[in-house]
Amino acid sequence: MTLDIAETDRILEPPHGTRPDPDAFVQAAMAWHFDPDTGSPFWLKRATAFDFDPRRDIRTHADLARFPNVAAELRHVPAADLVPRGYGDRPDVIGVYESGGTTGAPKRVVLLRDWLERTLHWSNEALDAYGFPRGADWLGLVPGGPHIVGEYFQRSVATHGRYGFRVDLDPRWVKRAIAQGRGPEAGAYAEHVIDQAAEVLRTQDIGVMTITPPLLERLARRDELVDLVNDKVRAIRWGGTQMDADSRHLYRTEVFPDTVLSGNYGSTMILGFAGERPGLPDDEPCVFDTLDPWVTFGVVDPDTGLPVPYGERGRVVAHHVSKSFLLPNNLERDLATRVSPPEGGIGDSVADIAPVGVFENETVIEGVY
Amino acid sequence: MPPTPEEEALPQLDALGPRGPYRARNRLTVTDVSGAPVAQLSLVPGVFLHRALTALRRAEPPAPDHRAAVLARAAELFTTGRLGGLTVAEHEHLVSRVGGVPLAVVRTATRAIGERLAAAYDSARRARPVDARDDWRDPLTRAGRAVWTRRGEVFAVNAAGNHPGTHSLWPEALALGFRVAVRPSRREPFTPYRLITALREAGLGPDQVAFLPTGHELADELLRGADLGMVYGGDDAVRRHRSDPAVLTQGPGRSKILVTADVDWREHLDTIVDSVSHHGGTGCVNATAVLVEGDPAPLCAALAERLGALPALAPEDDKAVLPVQPVATARAFGTHLANRAAGTRAWLGAEGVVAELGDGSAALRPAVHQADRPDAAQLGVELPFPCVWVAPWTPEAGTAVLRDSLVVTALTRREELIDRLLDEPTIGNVYVGDTPTYRIAPGLPHDGFLGDFLMRTKAVIRT
Repeated sequence: MTLDIAETDRILEPPHGTRPDPDAFVQAAMAWHFDPDTGSPFWLKRATAFDFDPRRDIRTHADLARFPNVAAELRHVPAADLVPRGYGDRPDVIGVYESGGTTGAPKRVVLLRDWLERTLHWSNEALDAYGFPRGADWLGLVPGGPHIVGEYFQRSVATHGRYGFRVDLDPRWVKRAIAQGRGPEAGAYAEHVIDQAAEVLRTQDIGVMTITPPLLERLARRDELVDLVNDKVRAIRWGGTQMDADSRHLYRTEVFPDTVLSGNYGSTMILGFAGERPGLPDDEPCVFDTLDPWVTFGVVDPDTGLPVPYGERGRVVAHHVSKSFLLPNNLERDLATRVSPPEGGIGDSVADIAPVGVFENETVIEGVY
Repeated sequence: MPPTPEEEALPQLDALGPRGPYRARNRLTVTDVSGAPVAQLSLVPGVFLHRALTALRRAEPPAPDHRAAVLARAAELFTTGRLGGLTVAEHEHLVSRVGGVPLAVVRTATRAIGERLAAAYDSARRARPVDARDDWRDPLTRAGRAVWTRRGEVFAVNAAGNHPGTHSLWPEALALGFRVAVRPSRREPFTPYRLITALREAGLGPDQVAFLPTGHELADELLRGADLGMVYGGDDAVRRHRSDPAVLTQGPGRSKILVTADVDWREHLDTIVDSVSHHGGTGCVNATAVLVEGDPAPLCAALAERLGALPALAPEDDKAVLPVQPVATARAFGTHLANRAAGTRAWLGAEGVVAELGDGSAALRPAVHQADRPDAAQLGVELPFPCVWVAPWTPEAGTAVLRDSLVVTALTRREELIDRLLDEPTIGNVYVGDTPTYRIAPGLPHDGFLGDFLMRTKAVIRT
C-alpha cells in the first residue's frame, strides 16, 4: 500500500478556515501516522503492540476511543521520535514544550510550523470575532518556557498585534512552594510578577493583556492597576487555570466593564487550547470550543469511558490528530460539563472546567467552634 | 454548577458587600440538624472578597457619636425587628434548627447580643488606658498626652458557628471605628446575617460592615487582606495563626472549676452543673474539667445524677437543653469521646451520648468521666456538648494543671491560690466563689479586651 501524499495533505492540511470530512480526516491521519515511510518512530513502534490495525480499523472519529492512552509515555520518549518521518530530515520544528508537571514529571511535545500556523490562524479569527484590536501592544503574564503558551503569546502578537511585552512566570515554582506549605512565598512571588506588570502598564500603551485568573485577581486588588487596565486595555485573554462563573461575571460587569474578556482552556497535550465561544451572555457558563477535527474533546464517565449525557459532568478526554502530531484518547485531569459542539462540529465542547480531586475536609472534632 | 430549581426555591442568604447584597452562582445549601435544606448561602469569589476589603479600607468611619447611636439602634432592630423577612422568633427557630443549639439558649443569646450591641461603644472604651485620650484635639495633648488610636482600618472576623453569642464581640470593633468584614460560619450563617442587616438598617453604611461568606480556601485570604483579624477555631487554627501579630485567635476555652477542701462542693452543685451544661455545653466558657481536692467520686455521682436527667429533645423544643447534631456527626463525637476516655472511669460514658431523635438528628447527652490525676490529658478534651472531666486536685499540683483555661472558677478561700491563678498568664479570667464559668457581662473582658488587640496608644504633643 503506497500512501498518496498529495491526497493526505489535501485532507489533513486543507486551506485555513475550511474543515475536512471528519471520517476522511481520521482515515487520512491513520494512513499518514502508521505508514512506515511517514509515521513517527514512537507510533510505529507502539502500534506493534496494538490489537487492532489503525489503518484498517480506525475509520471514524468515534474509533479514536480504541487507542490506548499513551500520554504518560511522553515523559520519557526522545522528542525526535515523536516527529513523523514524512517531514523528512529537516522538519520545521518551532520548539519542544512541556506540560505543567502537576501530576508528575513533565510530558514533552514537539511543535511543527504547519500546526502552529493553523492554530494561529484559527486563534486570530477568534480574536477578531471577540473584537480584540488589531495592531495593539500586548502585555503577557505568561511563562516563557518550557510551556507552549509563551510561544503562542509571542506568535499571536507578531501576527495580530504590534509589540509584545512579557513578564515571565514559573508556575512550577509556585506549585512547589504551595505543595511544601510555603504559601506566603508563592504569594510574594505573585506580587513580584504583578509589580513588573504594573511597570509595563504604567509606561506602555498596552491594548491587550494575556494573564491567568489568579494573577488577574491579584491585579484587581490594586485600584491603580484596575484604573490603568480600564484606561488602556481593550481586551483581556485569560487561561492557564479556570475562572469561576462568579468571578467572570464580576470582571465583565463591574471590574472591567468596557474591556473584552476571553478565555482559553489550554493544554500542552493538545498543542494548543480551546477558545471561549464568542457572544455568550454574562450569565451563561463559559463554553470552550476546539479547532476540530484536529483537536476534539469528549466528556466521559471515567469508569466506563462512555460519554455522559449533554449537560452532565464527566472527565475531559482530549484527542489531537494533525499531520504533525497524534495523541488520541488522553484522559485529562479536569472535570467539565458536556456541551454540544458548534453547528457542524464534531466532539464535545466543555464548560465549568474544574480540576478533579478538589474536596474539603473541615471535620474538627475537638474544640467547640 | 448552576443551582437546581429546588435549590433556587430555598430562601437565599446573599453576601452583603460594599455595594449591597450580592447573589453568587456558587452557593452552599445550608441544612438543619436533620439534613433538610433550609437556605442557600452565596459564596463570594476572591475578586469580590478583595474588592470588598479595598472598599472598606477606603471608607471613612462615622463620627463616634454616630457609631454609638447606630449600634444602639441596631440592637433594637436585632432583638425586635423583622429583618431579611424574618421575625425574631422565626430567626431564633432557624438558628436553633440549623445550629442544634437549644431554642431557649438562642433566645438568651439574642437578648445578650442586643445588650452587648447597645453597650458596645462604652464597653469597647473600657479597654482604653486611663491616661490615654480619644482624640488629639483633647486639650490635655497640648502638654503631651497619650492618644488611643486604631492599629488599622479593616478588621476581619473568621466567625464561629457553635453559639450565636460569639457574634456579640466583634461589634466593638465598629464602635472603635474599624470597618469589619465577617466571614460567617457556613454551619450557622444566620446570626451574623441578621446582625449585619440590623446594622445597615440602623444606618451604618454598606462600606462599614460586610457579610462575606466564602469557601474554606479563601478564609486565610480574608485575614491577609485585612489589617487585623480574628479567628475562631480548634488547636490547629490557633497554632497556625498564633505567631501572627495581626491575628487574634479565639481557640478552645478549656474552662475549669477548682474546688479546694475548705469549701463544700455540695453547696455549689448548681453552679458546677450549670457551668458544664448551660448553653447546651456548646461554649468555650463551659466548664470542661472540675478539679476537686479530695475524693472526686461523690461529685462525679452527683454530676452524673443531675446531668443524666437532662432530657433529649429537638432543639426547637422550649424545654430543650442539650445540643443536637446530625446523627453521623453525633456518632463521630461519641466515638471520639470513647477513644479519648480510655483510662478514665465513666460515670456517664460515651455509649450513652448519642440520643437519636428519629429525624436524622441526635441530641448529645452529657458525659461525666473521672480521671485519677490532676494532670490527666483528658482534662483538655473540650467537646461541644456537656462533657466534663473530674479529677482529684492537691495543693502540690498547684496552678500548673489549670493552665490554658479561658475561665477558672475557684471555689476556695485560699487567697494565695487566687493570687497564683491571677498571676498565671495562660488563664483568661478568674471567678472567685459561686460564679459559673459562663458568666459574661458587657464591659468585662472575655479573653482580654478586644480593644487591647485593636488599639494602641501614641504620644501626641502640640506646641
